[in-house]
Amino acid sequence: MPQRMILIGNPDNRRTAGLQNARAKLGLPPAVVLPYAGLLDGSASLAQAASLAGAASQPAGEPAPLLRLDAPGELFAVERGLIALGAPDHEEAAHGDRLLPFGHRSDPQPLSVRSALALAEQEGRQYHPSQWFRGFARLLARLRREAEELWPQPQWTNAPEDIAGMFDKRQTHRVLSAAGVPVPRLLAPPEEIAGYEALRDSMLSRRVHRVFVKLASGSGACGVVAYRINPRTGAEQAVTTVGVENYGARAPVFYNAMKLRRYTDQSAIRQVLNWLLRHGAHVEQWIAKAAYGDRTFDIRQLVVAGEACHSIARVSRTPITNLHLRSERVSVDDLGLAPGIRAEAAACAVKALAAFPRSLAAGVDVLLDSASHAPYILDMNPFGDLLYRVVHKGMDPYEWQMSRLASGSAETAEESAGSAASVAADPTGSAASGFSGAGNSGKPGGAAGSPDEGGTLR
Amino acid sequence: MSEVKLTIDYDQYENGKKMKDLLEELANSPQSGELTSLIIGDWGGAYENDSEETVETLVALKDRFPKLTSLFIGDMSFEECEVSWIMQTNLAPLLEAYPALRSFTIKGSTGLDLNPARHENLEELTIICGGLGKDVIHQIYEGSFPRLKKLELYLGVDEYGFDASLEDVLKLTEPGKFPELTYLGLKNSEIQDELAIALAEAPILDGLHTLDMSDGTLSDTGAEALLNSEKVKKLQYLDLSHHYMSDEMVNRWKSSGLNVNTDDQQDMDEDDDYRYPSLTE
Repeated sequence: MPQRMILIGNPDNRRTAGLQNARAKLGLPPAVVLPYAGLLDGSASLAQAASLAGAASQPAGEPAPLLRLDAPGELFAVERGLIALGAPDHEEAAHGDRLLPFGHRSDPQPLSVRSALALAEQEGRQYHPSQWFRGFARLLARLRREAEELWPQPQWTNAPEDIAGMFDKRQTHRVLSAAGVPVPRLLAPPEEIAGYEALRDSMLSRRVHRVFVKLASGSGACGVVAYRINPRTGAEQAVTTVGVENYGARAPVFYNAMKLRRYTDQSAIRQVLNWLLRHGAHVEQWIAKAAYGDRTFDIRQLVVAGEACHSIARVSRTPITNLHLRSERVSVDDLGLAPGIRAEAAACAVKALAAFPRSLAAGVDVLLDSASHAPYILDMNPFGDLLYRVVHKGMDPYEWQMSRLASGSAETAEESAGSAASVAADPTGSAASGFSGAGNSGKPGGAAGSPDEGGTLR
Repeated sequence: MSEVKLTIDYDQYENGKKMKDLLEELANSPQSGELTSLIIGDWGGAYENDSEETVETLVALKDRFPKLTSLFIGDMSFEECEVSWIMQTNLAPLLEAYPALRSFTIKGSTGLDLNPARHENLEELTIICGGLGKDVIHQIYEGSFPRLKKLELYLGVDEYGFDASLEDVLKLTEPGKFPELTYLGLKNSEIQDELAIALAEAPILDGLHTLDMSDGTLSDTGAEALLNSEKVKKLQYLDLSHHYMSDEMVNRWKSSGLNVNTDDQQDMDEDDDYRYPSLTE
């Protein structure tokens, strides 16, 4: 009997539909959809979904269902619910914030449960990014607890703690650095960059005049600023989707614009950067990306079960390449890269995912240095598999994942998540051996050394 | 053809590597004698060091690159250095040092001079920037390029250094100024409409095969003048890509039978009636 699946997501969106279509195509039963909205308002639970999936009464030896967490975004009720869940006065606060990296930091001007639930939808508005992330991490922690009560060894495609780690760009950078995966240099630890002045001082004293400032919990282009200063003239420039509206004495409203904007005015730049830094931001060197004609590109590389699969290059005239910002999609085959370079970029992405040993799928953003073409990891997207019109061996990303992960084989069922992680680690080990020329020093075996831990959730 | 691109990237720059060293290494390599095209990228912190040392080194090494016909100074992406932050210098000594050059390309106009702008054999001159200064335009006008076939100038916006008047620019199109010119690019301009109107019936068009008015703020106003011109109809190619023309105007071009590029139509910003050239800063 094929393995059942529980999908935690927003029903009726493109992601859920894509996954269900893939399951239907492969002859798998539809996943039981557990909506975020229900989890947040108490009308649904993992236990309930488990019994729907027939998994609660499973005979011994039957596989536990595969548990997939998908993106919570694009639904205001869910966004609001997560901000409320992250409130200091929410009962969930009693459990602490164990899955929240940097959870000891307090959020600026927190909203109470009541004020959070009273928020009204304003398109593009960033209501409270750090409290939202706190709420999301609390939900992840709750799901992890509940899964452990239901099954001896829950079968997450991406475990909640890994999702929290990949979602936090500070933590991602830390984990990848420790695993010896090439990443752009950290400007300074987050606690040293409290605000705009400290950021500028740090850039000037370290002579890193070009940086990316990224909202720790942002996804996509949201909360990303390409910032540079000219040490000779003092001029500065920030390119970002972050916009701000000031209304006299009232608190300013920050929002995410659909178009990139360029700021050169210090007061505007200061306001935007201070806001990001207060909510928690990661600051790293801005490495110039390789050129494609008069534009530059990075690569979104999907990695599933230790194998690089679907990929697409995002070609842009701007420093921020996200596809909704008028970047052009180009097949990686058409970039004219030397085969070795392409393989190195893919291997780098595989190695990056292996640094999160309890995860089987992520969209990894890889840049190639403009001069050396050496790969660096820019971002890890635990929900980065929504790629349109990209096929790998004749399958779309969902079909590919379902064929790799949900085949219902006894092997997946009997073995713990540890076996899945070791599937992931194997090709990584061989890829790592061809990797020495990529400017990657440190711990070449770091990523491959982790599968033993894979089966145990602590 | 053999081509080499030299760049000092961030790490090399911070470690004290200099473009001068790379150029001397290249001059001492066996390929220097056969090199036909040299591209200089970032010479190391191009936003805080101008290109003077690079120019001096290239002048000193002029006999080592006897076959060099193509030279590009400042080929760097917007990520490596903001185009308006690239610090150039007087590049005229390169023209004097390399009399066999056919093609000369410059990116960045801050600190740029071409004085004297003179070359007996140069066929292509391109300046890519966010705003070209009146001084450089005047230097080109006062200079001498008797064999020039292609002149391509990104004029840009006043905020990044374009301080010339329409008349200053149009002086470059005086009859006989560049007797062999077949490609004229006066582009990436915030006065693209005015230029289009002024050039539509200009005598210089008679000798051209290509008029390049791309990357600027061309709207239906300028396009109308071009579309109505008998001289434009005789061109082999008209480049109007990156423009603010209406769909209707684009369709008129498409049915005109002319070889015209109307790609990359820009949206008029709804809340802000302002048009931007393609490359500003």
